[in-house]
Amino acid sequence: MNELIPLMVIVPMMAALLLSAFSKFNKVIKCLALVVGICLPIIPLASNYGLHFFGGYQPIMDNVTNVIYHPAITYSFDFMQQIFIAMIGLLTFLVIFIYLTKYKKASGSYLFLLFMGTAAVTALILTDDIFHMFVFFEILALAQVGIVAASSIDYSYEMALKYMILGAIGSPMMLLGIGFLLAMTGTVNVTDIVSIIRGGLLDVTSPVFLLSLGLIFFGWLYASGLPPFHTIKSGIYSKAEPHGAALLQSFTVISMISIVLIMFRIYSTLPIFEVLVVFFSVVAMILGVSMALTQTDFRRMIGFLAVGELGFIGLGIGLGTQYALTAGLFQALNEIVITALLFIGFGAIVHATNEVDTRKLGGLLAYHPKVGIMLLAGGLAMAGVPPLSGFQSKLMLVQASLSCGYPELSILAIMVSIATFVVFVKTFYSMFLSPKPHDLEVVDNEVPKAMVFAMAVLLIVIIALGIFPDVVTSGISNYVGGLLP
Amino acid sequence: MMAETQLAILFTSIALVVIGLYAAIFVDNIIKKIIGISFIEEGANLFIVGIGYKAGGIVPILMPNMNTTWFASNASYPLPYGLVLTSIVIGASTLAVMLSLVMVLYKKYGTLSTKEMLADTSKQEEYNE
Repeated sequence: MNELIPLMVIVPMMAALLLSAFSKFNKVIKCLALVVGICLPIIPLASNYGLHFFGGYQPIMDNVTNVIYHPAITYSFDFMQQIFIAMIGLLTFLVIFIYLTKYKKASGSYLFLLFMGTAAVTALILTDDIFHMFVFFEILALAQVGIVAASSIDYSYEMALKYMILGAIGSPMMLLGIGFLLAMTGTVNVTDIVSIIRGGLLDVTSPVFLLSLGLIFFGWLYASGLPPFHTIKSGIYSKAEPHGAALLQSFTVISMISIVLIMFRIYSTLPIFEVLVVFFSVVAMILGVSMALTQTDFRRMIGFLAVGELGFIGLGIGLGTQYALTAGLFQALNEIVITALLFIGFGAIVHATNEVDTRKLGGLLAYHPKVGIMLLAGGLAMAGVPPLSGFQSKLMLVQASLSCGYPELSILAIMVSIATFVVFVKTFYSMFLSPKPHDLEVVDNEVPKAMVFAMAVLLIVIIALGIFPDVVTSGISNYVGGLLP
Repeated sequence: MMAETQLAILFTSIALVVIGLYAAIFVDNIIKKIIGISFIEEGANLFIVGIGYKAGGIVPILMPNMNTTWFASNASYPLPYGLVLTSIVIGASTLAVMLSLVMVLYKKYGTLSTKEMLADTSKQEEYNE
């Protein structure tokens, strides 16, 4: 059923608008949010692969040049989109479930932001239109700012404004880059741009083409939180509610891969593109993990570790082979699940202790063994310990680096994984295993059941992906094969 | 060949982006920063409008009695105008969100200077109360 493809965006967007409109009716919005949340992972799984042309405008063949043009906004839906949209749907459902069970009075505006963010990332990953990508990139930025500003954590407004200002510089740069591409090709459809480039109708060595790469690349760095935006990205994670941060990081990962895959299709003929992606990814890996080592606020620590993991994704995409791209995308999928588990788990600790400083925590394993064990599994998965999912994707990345002739990148990836392990074990020890400080008061012995349920679901996904990676990697590999020139 | 008008649009948009970047990065007052950001956005919009410009062209609306071949060769390119329209709406939304955040921060700190806001961490407790 190809008709379901636009519904993946329309359903969360309509739900967002309805939730905002009926925010006074608490029970209505709670039921509506829960029902739509359940539908979100089901719609992509029920939909057939294919293309959707908005307005029903089919592609047109130019009889003179024999080039096909797409007059309408096009959504492309394949295995890769299916698995990512289903995963983001599952995560949105879990986050909404946690939110609705945590607060008796639900906020329609906050639910609006959660659903609007989900709709925006879904559109980002589906779209084959570079301007459509920009529009949803902006909507996503606004939703992210709203989620951060809506939290009750100190300095959340300041962080939201900082993120907004940087975004307001990054997005016009991306718009200018899109403008340059439009000026050169006369279209904003990515498939059309790619066919113009492959047909030799565009000089890819022209400075204007390079300038468009630079400008769109700058916007991508902002969207993905790679250096120099890594501190602001980890900052917004730490200033959002923990369940909100779990969703925010997944938004970041999806927007990162969506934009970089579009850039890959357009600019992969330029060697400088791959060099740039690998360079910024390597810097992100090193900075992410080294800054995580120095953090005492565990939300901030997870934020920096998440940025480091983004570097692994970029590394896979920057290497540019079918195997490396598959590894990068598999790593992206794993990171969404693993980091969400960690944010929710640490959120449970904040709920129980009202404390975020690892130096002031200790002995929590006796109080919250379930949370402790699931957090440990999540941390080990992030560090790449077998047989969890992180191990499979990182192993693939190391093999991809070796097969591309860059053993130094393999060594770096292994070293960063070891450093991630050290960071996590150090934090886990000080929070769960070290003696409980006298002044630490465990205010709540019961962690919300919704949080434990969400963590358990995510842990099952991590273990399943670790044991059966082929279920995902073979489909992603087929999709990636179609992208390569 | 680039029309003179198009060249003028290009230089104006470059000037807007550069002035906007200067204001957004170096100016301390947060409202002025936001004005600078608006300059950058408008510079990008102006540039895209310039792409659709055609010297001596007509408005791209096909009237019933028009010859389609003549229309195709004389009308300006309509796609950039559609894009800019969307971009202006997005820019206005972004501006509204930024200004509302500034209002909250002004109530909290009593200043629009970013340096003073960063220096004054004691206001958070008062604000929470």
